[in-house]
Formats: sequence, structure tokens, C-alpha cells
Amino acid sequence: MIQRVVAIGLKIPDNEAYTALVTLQRLGVAVERLERCEIWQLDDTGDGSSIGGRIEANEAIFNPNKHRLRPLEQATPRAGEVWIDRIGEDADVRIAGVAHARRYVGWRLFGADDAPVHRDVVVAAVERLLCNPAIEKALY
Amino acid sequence: MSRRIAVPVFPGTNSEDETVRLLRDCGGDARLVHWSQAETLGGYDAYVLSGGFAYEDRIRAGAIAAHDRIMDFVIEGAERGKLVFGICNGAQIVLEAGLVPGTGPIRRPTAAFTDNAPAAHFVCRHVYLKLTIEPSRCAITASLPSSALIPAWAAHGEGRLAASDEHLREIVDGGHMAFVYAHADGVADERAVPNGSALGCAGLVNRAGNVLAIMPHPERDAWNFNHLDRRTGSNALAPSGGAVLFESFVRAVERA
Repeated sequence: MIQRVVAIGLKIPDNEAYTALVTLQRLGVAVERLERCEIWQLDDTGDGSSIGGRIEANEAIFNPNKHRLRPLEQATPRAGEVWIDRIGEDADVRIAGVAHARRYVGWRLFGADDAPVHRDVVVAAVERLLCNPAIEKALY
Repeated sequence: MSRRIAVPVFPGTNSEDETVRLLRDCGGDARLVHWSQAETLGGYDAYVLSGGFAYEDRIRAGAIAAHDRIMDFVIEGAERGKLVFGICNGAQIVLEAGLVPGTGPIRRPTAAFTDNAPAAHFVCRHVYLKLTIEPSRCAITASLPSSALIPAWAAHGEGRLAASDEHLREIVDGGHMAFVYAHADGVADERAVPNGSALGCAGLVNRAGNVLAIMPHPERDAWNFNHLDRRTGSNALAPSGGAVLFESFVRAVERA
């Protein structure tokens, strides 16, 4: 069993990310661009070369008309990024060869120079908007 | 002069019309205030946040609306003692704004109305709200009898109260749990709960008793013609059923 991590993002305009961006800016959080994606952490028994096709075969999580799939090198958030974990959520998803799947919402924040923002900015965005600690956990 | 009640409309609100109609039928001077008119909200005496999907529930139900300009006025009003009544999506917004249970800072929620359980599906079910606090504990319920039973419709996919064990204890110990789900005979048990809500909770009140948030819709079971048994005749348009909670709210506004 191998753990694989992929990001599924939109290739069409992401209205939710735009709304979050405008709200964060209104709250005084220093962010200029915001990317959102679904992070899938998969316990996979299948062949690594076919994982993209197997995920794309599940129409509940991937629509080729609007989604883009990208394998991630590491199973942790990158610079400027937070993964939001819904406490107790059981990702009921069937992907061939995948024994168990965990879903996060990934938010990546970029500053004025289009570089990932400092961790303090991510923490501010999490505390003020992106995470409700009653039901969610933030992973940095 | 009659005191004025605002029903704010966010992009995505969808229950504002019946909410205003019922407030008016119960004697209230209620008006819709759209998001582009937010600056006028300070001149109102009370606020009712109605159901819907404000900002398409982006990020979380109520999360974006809780930071909207509209809520600047609602929060300021609540802190000055004005009455705030959130229903369904309005309740989710009030929780995200931290107004109820009100055990943390403003806009730092300590609880949420979130995905139904065990199945995270939309539920549309007739329910009863049972008042579990002394009526006078909350200004909005003050005209109801003890243990009042209010008919309503649960119509939500995210109505389950969730919080840490510590915050659930605060909710109970602080007398914040205003309503639980019950059967028509007043018995409150697990089978009466449509969404897996912690403690069977259907509604929360803040410490000061001027902000109430409930998930089910009493305004959808509030005239003779739209009860389950669909009574008709000459009084078809008379308020009844769930209207008692709105009548109690309007009386509280006039008293305030």
C-alpha cells in the first residue's frame, strides 16, 4: 500500500476562491491571490502510473470539463498553504485500487510579489475566515 | 410609532418573502433590506436573518455572510441590545458571526450548524421545536408558555449542532440551548432529531438573551392554509402554528 496525494483544482474561474479573496482583503489580511483545490490523500494498492486515470474515472470528484488533476510530491502543505480538514468527515469515495481516501480543502495564499505568503498571514486567514475550529482543523 | 424590523437580504437568501409576510401578519413593521442598502440597517430596531444560501454557502454555510457589511450593523445592534433572530441559513450566519452561543469573541465561532448526520444529506421534514429554557431567559421567547411546542419544517443539509465537548458543556451550563427537537406530544428523544444535532439542539440563545438562532422554519407552518392538515375556509390566511414564535418576537420588539 502506497500513500499518494493529488490536488484537484478548477481550470475554470474559481468563484469561491475569489469570494474568499475579497473577504480576506476586507478583513485586512495581506493576500493578493488565492488558489483553492481539493487535496486527496489516498491509500493506494494500485499501479502509480494509472492513478490519474483511476481518479478521473470517478465522476463524483472529477469533471474533465472543469477540473485539473495534479500529483503532489509531498503529503504536507506547501509554503503559503493550509489544508482544512473537516473533523469526522468520512470521504465516501470509490476509486479503483484505493483502500481509503481522505479529503482536505487546500488554500494557497500569494502576496504582492506573487510569492507564497508568510506563515503568519496564512494563520491570520485561517483564524479569521478559512477554518471554524468547532468543526475543522487547519494543517500547516 | 411602530418599531421597525429589518429582514436583510444577502445574495442567495431565499426565505425573505414569507418571513416578512409573517412578521407583518403578526403586527410587525418589517421591511426587506438588500445588501446594497446595508448602510440603512443602523436605523432599524431589530433584525431577522432568514433562510437560504447566502453567498452560495461558499467556504462554509454562513461564513462569508458573517463578514459582510450587513453583519457589521447586525453585530453592532446586538451588542447594544437590539433583538436578532436567525432562522436556518440566518442561524448559520449568526453562529459564524459568534453571536450565539456567544461564548467566544465576535466572528470567532465556537460552534457550527454543519453537515447532517449520519448521512450528510438535505433533510426536509416536519418537526416540533420544544422550548427548554424559561421563556423569560430570551426576550424573543418571553411571550411563549413554558415548554412551548412550535411546529416547523426542518429543511437543511447542514443543521447539526457541532462543537467541542468543552464548548458543548458551556452551551448546556450557560443555558444557551433554547430549543430541542421533539415529537408532537412533546417527547424529546433521538427519533425526533432530523439531523444528528448534538444534544438534540434545534436553537441557541446568547448570554444576554437578545439573539436567538433556530434551524427549522416556523414561517413555513404559520398560516391555516399551510399546515400539514391544510385547514381552509374563511380563515385560511390567519396566522397560526409556527406564527406564535413570530408573535412573541414582535411583542419583544415593541417592548424593547
